[in-house]
Amino acid sequence: MIEVKDIKKKFGRKQVLNGVSFTANKGEITCLIGINGVGKTTILNAIMALTPVNSGEILLDGQKVTKQSFEKITFIPDAITMIPQMTIAEAMEFMDDYYDSWNQNRATELLGFFKLKQEDKISSLSKGNTAKVNLLLGLALDVDYILMDEPFSGIDIFSREQIADVFTSHLIEGRGVIITTHEISDIEHLIDKVVLLDEGIVLKEFNSEEVRESEGKSVVDVMREVYKA
Amino acid sequence: MIVKFNNRDPVYVQVVRHFKEQIARGMLEPGQEVSSRRELASQLKINPNTVQRAYKEMEEQGLIYTEKNSPSKITRDEDVLHRVREELILEAVDTFVTSVRSINVPVDELLELVKEKYDHQSDEEGGSAHD
Repeated sequence: MIEVKDIKKKFGRKQVLNGVSFTANKGEITCLIGINGVGKTTILNAIMALTPVNSGEILLDGQKVTKQSFEKITFIPDAITMIPQMTIAEAMEFMDDYYDSWNQNRATELLGFFKLKQEDKISSLSKGNTAKVNLLLGLALDVDYILMDEPFSGIDIFSREQIADVFTSHLIEGRGVIITTHEISDIEHLIDKVVLLDEGIVLKEFNSEEVRESEGKSVVDVMREVYKA
Repeated sequence: MIVKFNNRDPVYVQVVRHFKEQIARGMLEPGQEVSSRRELASQLKINPNTVQRAYKEMEEQGLIYTEKNSPSKITRDEDVLHRVREELILEAVDTFVTSVRSINVPVDELLELVKEKYDHQSDEEGGSAHD
């Protein structure tokens, strides 16, 4: 379980996170929703210890995140961080050198799944395919937790569908996923849990099947209530 | 297999309903194996946890059964199968009656209309099936 407890973060005078708390379970897909600038990416960066927080605590399976944690949790940022001149094969080799948890079998399977050619240079790929490579590099790690920042933004509908298919496959099964997005429609049926954010705080945290069951509301219905209130 | 899910009813309830319809129409036969949790999740493009929940629910309702170390199967219990069909028909009729009652149509006129429409539609379906 990933536990985010009352984290606060300021950039200069701007209070970006003002006491954010939520949990994300293993084996579940947790979705952080909020408009741009609400602090979604900052939360992911904080979980990965990429940015220091001013106060609060983040625990991964009950422990603080250290260098060793990165064999257990990975972050797929919204833009690929590999050198553009590398081919996909070279990028995979790089990951293999860097991480013990790299699983080449799974990477090969993902190449097929996304219909990518490993001899292609990253710089020559379309936006959609670059996003798929980015995803591949993260998903091929044998880690328990995966954080994904806006995996659907700016990508054509077929690529989005392909990426959404990953979520229902064994490539994700059993792992804990936190995904940020501002467009929920593609994944409404895929997510277990929703965390609604606004102005640095959590407005509501809920289980999507539970609100359908107990209140007959869709995730979008709840968003409308919460954000328009 | 394409199933259109709405966003307001629990997805697992919609999955159970989908199975009931398949059973009532004879698309799923007694004793037939059902897809694994993961297969169904990727076919229907929904969360594997949701499929798990749907299977649990169906097991509780006696729609499917699981023997040790083998895939779940559709029940052979005639009573249960009969009940599924009955339940779906009653539900559809209830919805129809509720919406038609507000227009106050005499029942004889209504029955005549239903019969006419029904024959007409099955003719069309029968016709297109041969195309």
